[in-house]
Amino acid sequence: MLKQLALALAGTVCFALTPASAQTKTVTLWHPFTLETDMIYGGIKSFNESQSEYKIDARIVPGPQIATELIKAIATGSVPDLVTLDNPVVASFSAQGTLTDLTDLVSKSTYIKPNVYFEGPWASGLWKSKIYAVPRDANTLALCYNADMFKAKGLDPNNPPKTWSELSAAAEKLKDPAKNVYGFGFSAVQGEEGVFQWLPFLHQAGGSVSKLNTPEAAEALKFWADMVKNGTASKDVINQRQYEVTNTFMAGNSAMVLCGPWELPRLQTDAKFDWKLALLPVKDGKNIKASALGGYDWVVPKGAQQVNGAFKFIEFMSNPKILNEGWATGRLAPRNDVVVQNPLWPQAYSIYREQLQSARARGPHPQWPDISKAIQTAMQEALTGTKPADQALAEAAKKIEPILAKTPL
Amino acid sequence: MKQPRFRRLGALPLAGIPHAVFATAFVLLYLFPIYWMFISGLKSTAEIFANPPTFVPRQPTLASFEYIFLRENVLRYLRNSLAIAIPVTVLTLLLGSMGAYAMSRLRGRLVDVALVLVLLLQVFPEALLATPMFIIFKSLGILNTFAAVILATASKTLSFALVILRPMFRQVPYELEEASFVDGCTPLQTFRLIVLPIMRVPLIVVGTLSFVQAYGQFVYAMTLMSQQELQPATVGIYSFVGAEYADWHRVMAFSSIFVLPILVLFLFLQRRIVAGLTAGALK
Amino acid sequence: MLATRTALLHVFLFVPIAYLLAFVGFPIVYNVIMSVQEVNLGNIADLVRPFVGLDNYREVMADASFRKVFINSLVFVGVNVVAQVSIGLGLAMFFAQRFPGASFLRGLLLASWMLPALVVGALWKWMFATEYGVANFVLRALGLIGSPVHWLSDPAVALTSVTIANIWFGMPFSMILIAAALTSVPLELYEAAALDGAGATARFRYITLPAIRPALLAIACLVTIYTMRAFDLIFAMTQGGPLDASNVLPLLSYQFSFQQFQFGVGSAIGTFAFVIVFGVALVYVRTLKKEGGE
Repeated sequence: MLKQLALALAGTVCFALTPASAQTKTVTLWHPFTLETDMIYGGIKSFNESQSEYKIDARIVPGPQIATELIKAIATGSVPDLVTLDNPVVASFSAQGTLTDLTDLVSKSTYIKPNVYFEGPWASGLWKSKIYAVPRDANTLALCYNADMFKAKGLDPNNPPKTWSELSAAAEKLKDPAKNVYGFGFSAVQGEEGVFQWLPFLHQAGGSVSKLNTPEAAEALKFWADMVKNGTASKDVINQRQYEVTNTFMAGNSAMVLCGPWELPRLQTDAKFDWKLALLPVKDGKNIKASALGGYDWVVPKGAQQVNGAFKFIEFMSNPKILNEGWATGRLAPRNDVVVQNPLWPQAYSIYREQLQSARARGPHPQWPDISKAIQTAMQEALTGTKPADQALAEAAKKIEPILAKTPL
Repeated sequence: MKQPRFRRLGALPLAGIPHAVFATAFVLLYLFPIYWMFISGLKSTAEIFANPPTFVPRQPTLASFEYIFLRENVLRYLRNSLAIAIPVTVLTLLLGSMGAYAMSRLRGRLVDVALVLVLLLQVFPEALLATPMFIIFKSLGILNTFAAVILATASKTLSFALVILRPMFRQVPYELEEASFVDGCTPLQTFRLIVLPIMRVPLIVVGTLSFVQAYGQFVYAMTLMSQQELQPATVGIYSFVGAEYADWHRVMAFSSIFVLPILVLFLFLQRRIVAGLTAGALK
Repeated sequence: MLATRTALLHVFLFVPIAYLLAFVGFPIVYNVIMSVQEVNLGNIADLVRPFVGLDNYREVMADASFRKVFINSLVFVGVNVVAQVSIGLGLAMFFAQRFPGASFLRGLLLASWMLPALVVGALWKWMFATEYGVANFVLRALGLIGSPVHWLSDPAVALTSVTIANIWFGMPFSMILIAAALTSVPLELYEAAALDGAGATARFRYITLPAIRPALLAIACLVTIYTMRAFDLIFAMTQGGPLDASNVLPLLSYQFSFQQFQFGVGSAIGTFAFVIVFGVALVYVRTLKKEGGE
């Protein structure tokens, strides 16, 4: 009793010492967005100006470090109020009970209605039918190609490859070893980014993560491995992160690459040639449209001091008006009621918007990092020629099987 | 009177010219990567990927540097880096000279244990140490202060300083200390007035190296301080390099800006350090 | 007077050691404890976690990548130690001769060690890029290679590439330390040897080397410890890939902890590295004693 009293007294004393906190509560936010044109900057500014109850105090945490920093914060019991997390990693946190359940808050929200969100992004925040995250943005992959090179090699720049066979034929034609030009570029880096880029091919071939020891899956991996083997794609793809793949495209070392919309601002200012976008090709005979789903989710770590303030900001940022601004840095809205009028890069916008319809989520699964690691290893083995694709994938399947037996996808 | 250490290359300065030419060529070649970093920062987007690469920028531009200066709060970053690195250096030298002196003078198992301990404590990757460090500083109530990062970083530089300084302190002849006792100095005075001045040069060397390590520290600053305004330049660079998009010429421009102060400081100090070294640390 | 001195020395020893034990000892104990517990995201904030004995260690030993990475670490550290100390010694002796600009040029070399490891990694990754990297361009222009080398994407080459970068990064530091050690060799010895007509090789063999052997050992030991925990540089260059070809223990431990969220296993790997360095440290102290210098 005495202790409680003392604590309460201490509380009031501190309160009195920091007058600002008497009215305005500070909501701490971690995010990785370094482009000052990102919607988060405008959002924070107008949120802080629009009301005086809460003030967002934002901190940039480097993208690859954000999960690491959140883990440290959880381990030490000093969590921020709000974090943007890469969506496949969210389930690892929610399944272990380290995030605040937002189900009730969402049910009372005016802006955030589960049914207006695209299925994939929304699913990434769910765990055991509870809502732990609200999608902030969505992205996916499309085929980006150098129209000037198409013309130079006698290809029709208005008729990009639509199937795998057209893709490899075009890539074959576009490659020019004397000039260090590869036909096709993608990221197969040992990391989540590599898996993100390969999964569309797996799905297009009719394969799935839960069945990697199938001919379909092997074909998808072999498609990539063969391109590396015959020099249509660079051997370096296994060490290139996505932005580095885009670098090779902008440098004119790759005629076509897999490319996300977040690269658009950079392509616009820095690519000195005519570049165009196309939907991802589909596999001949299968015609399964598929792409990868990426994007960031808002999460409130368990133990956050300002859950209500954090959610208020999530709501603010989910306002279609704000989400509209996302496209300025190539961020698509994760919901179907936001359509940007007169978008920048109109052709790209329609391509990505359409591609998003067939984008599939990774997971959600609490052990997605382990599943992803198994796939990464198989990719590296096949692409370096260490093991044939089917064997590499069979081994990956063996690692994934017990994980999925415990918790299915 | 300075003496040639190995071979006197003739009395005439001319005799050393071939050596000097070779040495210059070697150093230039060795530092080529740093040159490459600077000129890459000066290249345009088109030129950065030019094949064949240009060894002298055709159209040098400050655009990347401008970009970094406009976007990143470079001066604040650098000020924070110094606010961490300077106290770390002082703390390291203070504790390091004490410990190394003791380890060089005491005998027996105690010193062995201490030495093994010092070596061992350097092994764990910082990424794994950062979490428990956070717990310590949280209970001390000094999270989000430079003090936390300084104390954490100095633990790394201190081990290093102890290992480097210990054999150097051993070279101070005990006779000097005895003489000083005879003159009526207390042991503490002897340490301060006799031993430390003799060790001036090694201390400058270790101080410089500690400074550099502290300046390049990242993990502790990242984890122990959550306020943007306090973060040092390394965190800025990591945010930049780790982003979804990083352009090489801008990364290189940022890196150039970051290393320029230490390189300048180093160029300024290195003559003293190296001159001191060649003159013999203990004469 | 002697008693006061001994007391002062003990205080001098105690203060820095206590400091280190407080700020590094506790974190290490924390990690060692985690290595015998089952730790996941759900219980990482708890103090009491399920005790699993040596399960994490068993898991580590059974892991195929661990064996590979363990050998990588030994190769990486071994090559670094040999290269940094021998090149450093050669250069230190070269620069110890008097010629115009000797000390200035020697000091300049240290510039590579001044860069943060992440920047060094990014820089070398860029220079080692297959198509537009400057390394392949220069080697090709000199006619040393026919087709471009896949520095970072060929599993057979990646470890060599990160080793080259790390030697470049660390060697000047070893060199300066060796240079400092060389100044401690009494000049009279050289003068006497010169009078006896000893050649350069003999002087090196019988005077320089014995005189600086303890220092060389200390430096080799330091290089071992610093390369043992190399992290940023490899992280920036290859992230340990392809296929763990360039991975080392600290990075693997980080990957288990913060990418796979298997904190117990990550800590076990860290502890493993700790045990290895414990061995190195013991050898180091014993060798110092045998040298008779102690």
